Amino acid sequence: MTFLLDSDGMSEYLTVERQGGLLQVNLKDHWIFANLDTLQETLDDIELEAEKRVRFVCGGLRDFDLAGAWVLYEKSMDYEELDIETDFDGFKASHFKFLQHIIDIAAQEEYIPGFFDPKPSHFWRNGIRRIGHNTIEAVDSVGFIARAVLDGIKRPSRLVVGETIRQVHATGAAAIPIVMVVCFLMGIVLAYQSARQLEQFGANIFMVDLVANAIFRELGVLLAAIMVAGRSGSAFAAALGTMKLTEEVDALRVMGLNPNQILIIPRVFGLMIALPLLTVFADIAGLLGGAFIGATVLDINWFAFTERLASTIDVNDVLVGLSKAPVFAFLIAVTGTLRGMQVKGSAEELGRLTTIAVVQSIFLIIVADAIFTVVYARIGF
Amino acid sequence: MPEQHEHVISIHGLVNRFGKQVVHDGLELDVRRDEILGVVGGSGTGKSVLLRSILGLHGPNEGEIEVLGQTIRYHEPGPHKQWGVLFQGGALLSGLTVQENVELPIALHSNLHMDTRRELAVLKIFMVGLDLTAAAKYPNELSGGMRKRASLARALALEPKILFLDEPTSGLDPISATEFDELISYLAANLDLTIVMITHDVDSLFGVCDRVAVLVNKGIIVDTLEEIVKHPDPWIQEYFGDPRAVRARKAAKAKVKI
Repeated sequence: MTFLLDSDGMSEYLTVERQGGLLQVNLKDHWIFANLDTLQETLDDIELEAEKRVRFVCGGLRDFDLAGAWVLYEKSMDYEELDIETDFDGFKASHFKFLQHIIDIAAQEEYIPGFFDPKPSHFWRNGIRRIGHNTIEAVDSVGFIARAVLDGIKRPSRLVVGETIRQVHATGAAAIPIVMVVCFLMGIVLAYQSARQLEQFGANIFMVDLVANAIFRELGVLLAAIMVAGRSGSAFAAALGTMKLTEEVDALRVMGLNPNQILIIPRVFGLMIALPLLTVFADIAGLLGGAFIGATVLDINWFAFTERLASTIDVNDVLVGLSKAPVFAFLIAVTGTLRGMQVKGSAEELGRLTTIAVVQSIFLIIVADAIFTVVYARIGF
Repeated sequence: MPEQHEHVISIHGLVNRFGKQVVHDGLELDVRRDEILGVVGGSGTGKSVLLRSILGLHGPNEGEIEVLGQTIRYHEPGPHKQWGVLFQGGALLSGLTVQENVELPIALHSNLHMDTRRELAVLKIFMVGLDLTAAAKYPNELSGGMRKRASLARALALEPKILFLDEPTSGLDPISATEFDELISYLAANLDLTIVMITHDVDSLFGVCDRVAVLVNKGIIVDTLEEIVKHPDPWIQEYFGDPRAVRARKAAKAKVKI
C-alpha cells in the first residue's frame, strides 16, 4: 500500500510507504540547514503503526548537508531507543559521507549528561562566599596600592618624572575649560537660589557669603573632582586595562621595569598635583558665576561683591577646599589604576571595570567629603 | 570525476590602490567549486586586501567580484549564510563562551529551537576536534590552537559553501599546525566545501591545497603545485626554491606514495 502524506509540509521533503512491518521513508528535495525547522517537524509527524523496522531511502534527494544528516541521524537514534531497527539505503557516496561523518563523531564523543543543566543555586552560600571574596579583594587592593606607592617612592626614576608631568597636563590642564564652565554655571545656580530666599528679608548681599562659602569649602573641589573622576578615572582604567589585555604590562615587567612604578605612580602623583591646581580654577569660575548674576540681576555690583567677599572669607575657607583636593585625587587615581590592572581576558571585562572605576571613585569622593566636613566642623577649621 | 568546473568566486579587473601605491592592477581570479586554493605572496602584495575585497570589507578602486553568483559591494551584506571566515587571530567574541560563539550565527540566521541550536553547535565543536570542556570556556582560556579550532567551528556553523582561512596555521607549533592541516583536509573531504586559504606555511600549501595562487607583479598566477614550481617568475622561483619549500614538497610527494 502506498501512502502519500500530503498534509502541511509533509509531502515536501519525504513520502512514507508502509509494507508489513517495514516503514520506508523516502527523502526528497533539499535536506539542508535552511529547512531544518520543517525537516524536524516533518520527521516528528511520522506516525508508527507497530512497525519494527524503519528504512530511510534517499530517492529524490537533491541537496544534503551536515545539518540534514544530523536530523536524520537523531531520528534514527530515537527509533533505536524504541527498539525499532533503522537502516539507510540508496544514499550516494557524497550523501552518505555526511551521515558517516555524524556517526563517526557520535562514536568518538561521549555526550556528558547534565552538561547543559542549569546549575543549582545556593543563595546563602554564594552570598557569604561573595562577602568573603570582596573582603579579601579589598584587603588585597590596599596592599597592592601600598606596594605600588612604596615602589615609586623608594626608587624614583627619570621616566617617572616625565610621565608625571605628562599626566598633570592630560588630567589637569586639559580639563580646565570644562571644569571652569561647570563651576561658573554652578555659581550662577547658587546665586539665583540663595537670592530667592534672601530677598524675603531684603538681605540680598548675603548671597555673596553663601556662594563664596559653598564654592570655596565644598563645591569647587567637589565638582572638579567629579569631573576629573569622569574624565581621568575612566581614562586610567581603560588605558591600563587595554595594556593588560595586549600584554604591554607583561612586556614592561619582562624588561625589568616595574609596571607599578611606570604606570601607577605617575598617574597617582600627577593627579595629586593637578587636582589642587584645578580646584583653584574651579573656585575662580564659581565666584565669577556668582558675581555675574549679582551684577546683572541682583543689584550687587562687582565692587560690592569683592568688598563683601573680602570681609566674609578668610584664607582658612580656601584652604579647607584645597586640602581635600589631594585626597580626592588619590582616591580617583588609585581606583582607576587599580581597576585597570584588574582587567583580564575580555573586552567586556574592560568595560565593566571602567564603569566600576568611575562609579566607585565618585562614591569614595563623596564619602571622603562627608568625613572631611564632619571632622572640620568638630575641630572648627 | 568529470571535470565540470563551476566558478564559485570570480574576480574581474580588480584594482586596489593606496595613495600612489598600486597593490592590485587588473587582477583576475576564478575559484572552482570544491577546490582548496592556497593564496601566497610576499608581504605587501595584498593577500589580506584581496581577501577583504572578496568579503566586502574593503571597497576596491575598480573591478567586479562575484561570489556564488552574487555581486559583492563594499559594506553591503554578501552571501553571508554561505560563507564562513576564519580570521587570523580567531576573532572569537571574548565575552561569550565557545559554545555561545558557535551558536551565535545559528541564532542570528534561523528560528531553530534552543535545544536544536545547542546540539548543532556541539556537533560543530566536536567536528573540529574540541570537547565539551572546551565548549564551556571563554576564548581567553583557550590555547592558540584551540582558539583557531573554535573559530573554525563558528565559521562552519551555517553549513557554508565557501570557507575563507586567513593564515590558519600561523602562530601554531608545527605539530598543531600539521593537525590543523589534517583537519582542513578532512573537512574538505567530508563536506562540500570550497576553501580559499591565505598562508605562509609551505607545509600546508603542499599538504592541503589543490591549486595555488601566487600574488606577483600586482596580478596573480594560478596553477597546480606541479606546474607553478616551474614558473619562471623570480619571486616564485625564490619562494619554492627555498630549502623549507623543497623539503615540504618532498614530504608531500612521499605521503602520496604511501
